Amino acid sequence: MTGKPSYVQLLEANNLIQNFGDSTYWLCLTRTVQGSKLFPVSPYILLSYLNAFYRYPSLIRKIEAAMPAEAIADRARQMGIKVQNSSMGWGLPCFYLLGREYLLNLGLIGPQDAAEDVVTVMDFWRRFQLAWHRNDGHITNAEYGQRAQILPDRRLEVFKADAFDCAEGDPLHEAAQLFLATVSQYGFLVSCESRISLTNSGPYRIDERHELLIRDFMDLAETSLPWLDDVAADVPYNNLTVTMVARDCHFHLVDDWGSFESEPEFSAARLNGIGLYTSDALSEGYQPIAMGSAQELTEKFLELNTIFKEATNRLWLRMAGWSRDQLIDAGAIAYYAIAKDLAHVAGVFDPADWFEIDPRAERFRPILSDEYSDAALGELVGGISLPTQQQSPFTMMKWSNRATKVLTPLPYSILAGEDYIARVGEPQPGGSHLPPKNDRYRTTRGVLGLEAYNAAAATFVPQTCREPWNFLCETWVKYNSASPSADELYRLEQRQSRTLRDKGV
Amino acid sequence: MPCLPTDNDRYASEPASVLVAAVHGAVRDLVRRRWAGSGLDWSAFAAAANERLITKDDLAAIDAAVLATGHRYAFSALISASERPAAYRGTEPDREGPFCFAHPDAPTAAADPEGRALCGVGDNVVRRDRNVRGRALYVRSSQEVIALMQQGVPDGRIAIIDDSGGTLTAPILERFAGVVCAGGTVRSHLGILTREYGIPCLMNVKLTGVFNDDMIELETSAAARTADSYQRGEAMPARIWKAEP
Repeated sequence: MTGKPSYVQLLEANNLIQNFGDSTYWLCLTRTVQGSKLFPVSPYILLSYLNAFYRYPSLIRKIEAAMPAEAIADRARQMGIKVQNSSMGWGLPCFYLLGREYLLNLGLIGPQDAAEDVVTVMDFWRRFQLAWHRNDGHITNAEYGQRAQILPDRRLEVFKADAFDCAEGDPLHEAAQLFLATVSQYGFLVSCESRISLTNSGPYRIDERHELLIRDFMDLAETSLPWLDDVAADVPYNNLTVTMVARDCHFHLVDDWGSFESEPEFSAARLNGIGLYTSDALSEGYQPIAMGSAQELTEKFLELNTIFKEATNRLWLRMAGWSRDQLIDAGAIAYYAIAKDLAHVAGVFDPADWFEIDPRAERFRPILSDEYSDAALGELVGGISLPTQQQSPFTMMKWSNRATKVLTPLPYSILAGEDYIARVGEPQPGGSHLPPKNDRYRTTRGVLGLEAYNAAAATFVPQTCREPWNFLCETWVKYNSASPSADELYRLEQRQSRTLRDKGV
Repeated sequence: MPCLPTDNDRYASEPASVLVAAVHGAVRDLVRRRWAGSGLDWSAFAAAANERLITKDDLAAIDAAVLATGHRYAFSALISASERPAAYRGTEPDREGPFCFAHPDAPTAAADPEGRALCGVGDNVVRRDRNVRGRALYVRSSQEVIALMQQGVPDGRIAIIDDSGGTLTAPILERFAGVVCAGGTVRSHLGILTREYGIPCLMNVKLTGVFNDDMIELETSAAARTADSYQRGEAMPARIWKAEP
C-alpha cells in the first residue's frame, strides 16, 4: 500500500493483529519452553524480530512487485517448502509484530509509527493465507480449530493411492521411523534449535480408522542457508514431504506452528502407510522419490538416513566451533529468513536481503545478554508483562482473562491528524559473522547458480497454476467432474502417480 | 526532558524482571535525551533515531552500566559464559565430589517393597506399556558430547540433560535407552525428538540425588502430559526412582 491507511485498512489490520496476538499467546503457553546450551536462543530471537521489523516491509514490496501474495500461495499449495506453516501461518507476521512491540517498549517508536508498513505486512499476509487455505476457507489453522486442509481432492487421491502400507516390524516401517527421527533431528540443527525446518499439515480423513498427515522437512541441502554449504553437499533434496497414514489415531490438533497432537498419542506402532516426495519453486508440484515399490522406498529411507546422520555430525561439529556472535547470527538469520522462500518462488532472491543483519537491528546486540534476552522474550510472549501490553482493567484477554494484549493495535488517531512515520525505510547494507553463501543452490532441476535459479523461477508457472486450471477449484470439480476439463485436471495431477496415472477423475 | 509517545501510559506497569526494567529504562532515557538534543519533532526524530541517532556504542554503554552495578548475567548458552566470563556468573558453583541435580521441589521417599526410592518427577512424553530402567549419564556440555561421539554411548544409559533443545545432543541422542530433561515441556524440541526416535522421555523433571551410573527407573507407563493440562496448570507427574542395580 502507499499513502495514509484508510479506516477500513486499519480496522482489518487491527483485527489480524489481535487474532494473531491471541494465537501467539496460546502457542507459546502450550507448546514450548525452549532452552539450549549450544545456541543463545533468546538473544537470536530478539535480534531476528528487530531485523524483521526493519526489513520485511521493503522485502515484501519487492516480492510483490514480482508476484502477488495470492499467486505465490496458489503455488505453495503444491509444494512442501517454507511458504506454509510455521513460516507464513505464524512466522512472518509474528516476527514483524513482535519486533514492533519490542521497539515500542524500548521507546524508539510510537504505536502510530510505521503504520503503512504494518498495513502492508498484514495485508500481504492475509491475502497469502486466504489463498493458501482456500480449500478449507480459513485464514489460519487456529481459525479452523487447529487444522489445515490445504490440498485438493486430486492430490490427496494420489497421496492416498500411492502410499505403501507398512506395519510395525516390517522393513519399510522400521526404515521410515528411523528416517523421520533422523531428519527431524537434522532439521532442528539446521534451523539452530528452532522448529522452522519441520512442519505438518492436515489431517485428512482416509476412512474410519485412518488419517493422513503431511509432514514437510525443508531447507535440508545446499540451497539457501549458508551454514549448509559443504556439510550438506551430499544431501540430494532440499525439501522432503512424507505422507504418513496413521491408524486408530486422530490428529485433533495441527497448529500454526505445524506441530501436531493426537488422541491417542501417535507412536510408531500407529504408522500404517508412507510415501516420499520432493518439491521446490521449480517443480511441477510434488515429485515422488523412490515410490516404485516398497523395497525401493525402504532402501531410499535407509540411504537418506545415513546421509542425514553424517550431515548432522558434520554440521554439529561446525556449529560447536562457532563464536557466540556466529551462533546468534545463524539463529537470527534462520528465524528472520523464515520468509525467504517467497523470494525464491517470485524469482527475486538476493542473499543480501535475507542473510544480513541490518545495522538498525545490529546496534542492539550489546544489550542482548542471555539473562536479559530470556527475561525480555519471556515477558514479551509468555508473561505479557511489558508496559505496552497492559490494558484497561476491564479488559479480559482471550485464554487468560487478564487485562493484557500481546500486540499493540495501530491507533485510529492517525486518521485524526496524529503525526506518524509512514515507513522505516529501505534495508541498509548489513552483514554477519558467518561466511557468505556460496553460489550453489540445490533444486529439483539440479544445482544452479543464483542467477539461473532466479531466472528459472521468474519464468516458471506450474501447469495447474496456469489458466484455466488455477481457478477450477474444488467447488467447480464438485459440479463438473464429468467434464473433459476436470478429467484433464486430474490427469495433470496424476502424471507421476504409480497407481493413478491417466485414471482421470 | 520530552515525553516519548509511550511515556504517558495509563495502564503501564513495570516489567516483571528487574533487569528488563533497568535495560528498558536506560534505553528509553537515552532516546529521551537524544530527542531533546535533536531539536526535531517526534516523527522526524524517530525516523532519524532509526537511522543514526541511537548507536551500537550507546547500547554497549548501557550494557557496561548494568555490569558496573556489580550484576553478572546468568547464562543460558555455555558459550556466553565462556567467551565473556567477566560478564557472566560461572557455569557451576564450586562443589566437592561428583555432580548431581538437587532440585529443591523433587519429591523423595524411602525405598518401596521393590527397592525403588523415589527421587523425582517429570512430564511423560509418550505413555508406554512399561517403565524403563537404565544407568544415569549426565550430558551437559559440547565437550561431553564430543567425547561420547568418539567413545560411544555405553548400552542402557539414560541421559540426564538440562537442555530442552534438540541440538546439543543431536549426534548421540538416538543411542540412549531413555532421557530425563530438567526443563521444557513434552512439546519442547527434545520431547518431540525422543517421540520420533521412540526413546522413553520425561521432561520438566525435578530430580535430586542421582549420580552418574546410578540405576534409575522412569515411570513411562504414566499418562502422557497433555496440552490442556499445561493450559490449566495441572500437574500430571510421572515418577523417577533410584532402583536397586
